Amino acid sequence: MVNVTKGVLVECDPAMKQFLLHLDEREALGRKFVLNDLDETHLFVSADIIKVLKEKIDELLDKISVPVHE
Amino acid sequence: MGGGSRRSKKRMRGEMEDYYEEEEEEDDGTGQEFVPGAAKRDAEEGDVNEAPEDEYGAKDYRSQMALKPDHESRPIWIAPNGHIFLEAFSPVYKHAHDFLIAIAEPVCRPEHIHEYKLTAYSLYAAVSVGLQTEDIIEYLTRLSKTAIPGGIIEFIRLCTVSYGKVKLVLKQNKYFVESSHPDVLQKLLKDPVIQQCRLRRSDDDNALEESSIKKTSGAAALNSAFSAGGADPSRSGNPSDDPTAGNEGGNDAAVPTDITDFYSKIDAEEDDEEEQKVVSFEVNQEKIEVIQKRCIQLEYPLLAEYDFRNDTRNPDINIDLKPSAILRPYQEKSLRKMFGNGRARSGVIVLPCGAGKSLTGVTACCTVRKRAIVLCNSGVSVEQWKQQFKLWSTADDAIICRFTSDAKDKPMGCSILVTTYSMITHTQKRSWEAEQTMKWLQEQEWGIMLLDEVHSIPAKMFRKVLTMVQAHCKLGLTATLVREDDKIADLNFLIGPKLYEANWLELSKNGFIAKVQCAEVWCPMSPEFYGSYLNMKISKKLLLCVMNPNKFRACQFLIRYHERRSDKIIVFSDNVFALKHYAHKLGKPFIYGPTSQQERLQIIQNFKFNPKINTVFVSKVADTSFDLPEANVLIQISSHGGSRRQEAQRLGRILRAKKGAVAEEYNAFFYTLVSEDTLEMSYSRKRQRFLVNQGYSYKVVTKMAGMEQEDLHYKSKEEQMALLQQVLAASDADADEERLPGEGPARAGGSGGSFGRRYGALSSLSGADDAVYREYKKSSSNPYGKHPLFKKFRTK
Repeated sequence: MVNVTKGVLVECDPAMKQFLLHLDEREALGRKFVLNDLDETHLFVSADIIKVLKEKIDELLDKISVPVHE
Repeated sequence: MGGGSRRSKKRMRGEMEDYYEEEEEEDDGTGQEFVPGAAKRDAEEGDVNEAPEDEYGAKDYRSQMALKPDHESRPIWIAPNGHIFLEAFSPVYKHAHDFLIAIAEPVCRPEHIHEYKLTAYSLYAAVSVGLQTEDIIEYLTRLSKTAIPGGIIEFIRLCTVSYGKVKLVLKQNKYFVESSHPDVLQKLLKDPVIQQCRLRRSDDDNALEESSIKKTSGAAALNSAFSAGGADPSRSGNPSDDPTAGNEGGNDAAVPTDITDFYSKIDAEEDDEEEQKVVSFEVNQEKIEVIQKRCIQLEYPLLAEYDFRNDTRNPDINIDLKPSAILRPYQEKSLRKMFGNGRARSGVIVLPCGAGKSLTGVTACCTVRKRAIVLCNSGVSVEQWKQQFKLWSTADDAIICRFTSDAKDKPMGCSILVTTYSMITHTQKRSWEAEQTMKWLQEQEWGIMLLDEVHSIPAKMFRKVLTMVQAHCKLGLTATLVREDDKIADLNFLIGPKLYEANWLELSKNGFIAKVQCAEVWCPMSPEFYGSYLNMKISKKLLLCVMNPNKFRACQFLIRYHERRSDKIIVFSDNVFALKHYAHKLGKPFIYGPTSQQERLQIIQNFKFNPKINTVFVSKVADTSFDLPEANVLIQISSHGGSRRQEAQRLGRILRAKKGAVAEEYNAFFYTLVSEDTLEMSYSRKRQRFLVNQGYSYKVVTKMAGMEQEDLHYKSKEEQMALLQQVLAASDADADEERLPGEGPARAGGSGGSFGRRYGALSSLSGADDAVYREYKKSSSNPYGKHPLFKKFRTK
């Protein structure tokens, strides 16, 4: 049987890729979304998560570092 | 103008205070009684009619402050909340600056506009160096572009009215409370507590002694000290000696004459010899403490002055400055504040590291010429102080002695004693000799007490030192008097007010300290490290940041680059695990807490003189008073959270002016290596605040040219992975920062002390797991055979 999942290719720097993997593993967005780990700078993620990801990514990034300005 | 970002800066400062609180030891609250009520006043509270603010928090004072018609030639603005803004490009900048430094705290001093703040403490300091309330207000009015807000005048009056009116003077071995305001003294004498403290020669002797003392000028006092040392007297006593004075000449025409007139008047007043009516009464020596406390409660804090010339009970020591010791203008200025009226005042002098604090201290001792005690915070700096004394003054080994746990000098009867804070406050059992020395030390009346790195001692320890050692005059030296911390305020009253604070940027412009290029190097986290970074708890996170292979490579690259230029490099790491790893991998010597004194000195000597040792790795033991004058490159790979003080202290390690350096070019380099996308980024922002306020700017480096061509460690993924495994295997204790004795609890973010949690059976914890009980027949290793008589000793 063949499963077809619609996905989006994400290109980012290596650190960001690690962060996305981290989010995926922790299910920080409610579920797993990384379909395939391609190489250093590329990930294949499911298409329907993109909207949420775009909204939340900055907020989540801020969370892991101490804010300098309130 | 400058007010725009003040709000946000303020808020940020509040945030940073937290970092200091962690560093300072808990105060038991007894400090409060040393602080008069007026000191708690804040100019900002007086700012009642709040000015409208724009969206950035900038205040609009236009309605309250009308510009004077000739405002263009006047250099300062005074905002109703006590902040003063000074144009650094104004022709009268020099005058205004000298004046402002005396009456206000510098907040931020970049190139063009300087920000100062009027505080109760700064005004207290101003009064204690001899400025009068009316003079302050008058001169401010003349300098200001606008009329001075009423609230500010009120504030100045409130803060200065009671300060500095009464002095505690030690003359001919008797303590006198002295004042040139008879009414104030009368008021004090009505207080029953003070009456008890008063020493009456006969019962009916109720009248105040009235005497007129001849005020010798500060310059004269210093001059005699210098000429005794053989230095050229014409160098001192002339304020226009400053190298910057030359370029002002041409602009004088634009200056309203009243400003210069008044300045010269104030200047003249300082130097004038005039007769002054003074009233005084004698105080019972045993009740000094009581009267001091009481006077603070009555809001008339006693300024302690030591009339060292007329002190006959304590013998003079034979010490003078060497002819080769020439004071720089700012050192002289700071000392003139201290010996302002021919007597020695207690206080704190703030000079950047490397600007010659030791010479200032040595000169002070040579001026007082009484027994001196020098307190510093490590064994190494004890050695350095001794050397400084020998370098600048005629003191020799016979009169200088060290009192530390491993120095073998005989301190009894010496004239200059150099010791550490911890040695004095040590509470455990001492050796018999040390015990004797302590006893002797406590019985002495010291002429002057020098307190090195005075910011670093917790208030509690400090108070202990002060109660144990009796000194007539106390001089604190520091580079970073952290201002917003209340515990620093305590120092104001324990030692004395801040007498002088130098402007870092100006000193480096004039070549007194090195011109430093500060750079923040951003090293991308390697993906594997970042992956584990995200999953770790905080202490391990920081270790991962430090051990980031890209950071290691950057560090190695920088070391190589600068070694090729034959620079001397210090690498700082707070984290011992990283320190050891870096040093071993690169084959460089390193110094950290457990390194023995002897080994330290050996490494330092090698670093100084051995052309093959150009790099040394140090932990935070080297933060303060670790004299490595040759070093001109500093690389920081890990640091203590967001501590600005540490950043400034570290910068100080390379600030010493380099020989034959061209003042226009950068001759020292300060690199901070930061792992991108990690906590370190925001910490580094915070750390830079202090230096940015001093006018330093940081350059961000994201990529270093030529790094690819170099053959550096951790090039391959395999090597990096192996490193990662090592880091992950490191225990929690390794991940923690080094902690020095006497320091408070570790950073809140850390794993909470050196306690680790281990799982296992009780038997294994006690080491019984694989212990096998066996009986050995002890083979005789002694070739000479045993005699039963000695058996007992040998088996020990």
